[in-house]
Amino acid sequence: MIRAVLLAAGVAVLSLPALAATQAEAEAALAAAKAAETEALAAKAAWTTTEANLSKSVKALAACNWEEAKATADEALALARRSVEQAEEQKTIWRNAVFR
Amino acid sequence: MTKSFFAFVVLSVAALPLSAHADDVKAGQGLALDRARGNCLACHTIKGGDAPSSVGRELAGMKRRFPNRADLVEILTNEPRRNSIAPMPPFGRNRILTPAEIEQVIDFLYTL
Amino acid sequence: MIRDSQRDRYALARNVACALLLAAAPAQAADEKIDPEADRKALQAFVFAKFPKVAKEDFGNGPYAVNAEMRKQWLEIMQFPPYELALDEGRAEWEKPFANGKHYADCFDNKGVSIRQTYPRFISATGQVETLEGAINRCRAQNGEKPLDPMTDTMASLTAVMAESSRGKPFAISIPDDPRALAAYDRGKEFYYSRKGQLGVSCASCHNSPAGERLRGDILAPTVGITAGMPIYRSDWGSMGTTIRRIASCSSQTRALPLNPDDEDYRDVEYFISYMSNGIPITGPGTRP
Repeated sequence: MIRAVLLAAGVAVLSLPALAATQAEAEAALAAAKAAETEALAAKAAWTTTEANLSKSVKALAACNWEEAKATADEALALARRSVEQAEEQKTIWRNAVFR
Repeated sequence: MTKSFFAFVVLSVAALPLSAHADDVKAGQGLALDRARGNCLACHTIKGGDAPSSVGRELAGMKRRFPNRADLVEILTNEPRRNSIAPMPPFGRNRILTPAEIEQVIDFLYTL
Repeated sequence: MIRDSQRDRYALARNVACALLLAAAPAQAADEKIDPEADRKALQAFVFAKFPKVAKEDFGNGPYAVNAEMRKQWLEIMQFPPYELALDEGRAEWEKPFANGKHYADCFDNKGVSIRQTYPRFISATGQVETLEGAINRCRAQNGEKPLDPMTDTMASLTAVMAESSRGKPFAISIPDDPRALAAYDRGKEFYYSRKGQLGVSCASCHNSPAGERLRGDILAPTVGITAGMPIYRSDWGSMGTTIRRIASCSSQTRALPLNPDDEDYRDVEYFISYMSNGIPITGPGTRP
């Protein structure tokens, strides 16, 4: 019984690094998200939700919550990329929506 | 005792999808009515909802109108791709709802 | 249930097919002649047909024109127009001389009276569109004064005075025979029809076809006449605001980060929208829910 508990505990401890984000990972994710958002801002395509996620990530980093910081940064990155993509798409397809 | 216990286990396991589905419908309803998520009432009238919105069609008779679930997935994921003048946001494409959440909303829609 | 991989392959196939079709089709966007009058006539014909009981001079009242219930509420509100205070403040500000002794009236044709319906204007010297608010700030700059933030009620009260003196005059936006002016109009049209923000909607997607429909407690105003009632006292703000303030707040509502209030995009879209309203009488300053 005790052996089973120890085994389970050992597995849990070993798998922790694989589950949790590190500070380095969180910071890298935020940097990538910020870079993508800079592009979105330059394209005048930025979304308010991207900014909100970036703020959350910055706050989480400051609170040493690497998991939350990385998750919100990853979402901000995805949103920023999509915002730029939407603006690019719209450049050619907006005319399809014009009232005639 | 073992026979009835066995029957109990089998029936419980068989009922799991049903209770899971009920959970999905409830989750889908929550997403649909949440102003920050689906916010469906902004444009659609839904029975029991508190807004007589008319930008989109009333959400009723959904099983009859959309027998092909895949159509609802497309509509919720990216309706502007199907209809260039649609006032409906591309919920899936623009990450307003995740694919899993869209499935839950559809589960709810099919109860209307 | 379609899996993501299936959906992506289908989407890819469709996009390739679409691209091939577009490549085969005659090039439309590049060669399409910019024809503001054709655009205006088509859009106005649609709106007038959609709301046959609404008089032309009423379209500047937006939601109140196209919904009977809202109109009743509006008539009650208009017994004591909520913009009267702003008009008083605006008149006082308008009369006040600059530090150098000059006045706003010195900057404008006809002393700024009855000219609002010609704004926004294309300015040849700069090759850019100038809104009424921009003209106010240019006047201030020319007279050594700091610019007013177009998002504030101080600016709105000034343009309210100018709008009031144009009440009833039909919108008369001019697009001079200058490719730069036509380009500005076309950019404004592009802005109007481009989907933006996380909600991925365009101005047109709500204010063209769904005009008059109900969005929760609100009624969507039609594009035609939508700036004729500006600036507005908006109950939601509890204060007076310019077209720019409304465009910026709507942008946020669609989860698009608002641009700088002086951004060319905003000036161009106001140029487009106002041209679409040519012939519609000014009903500003106005009030909105």
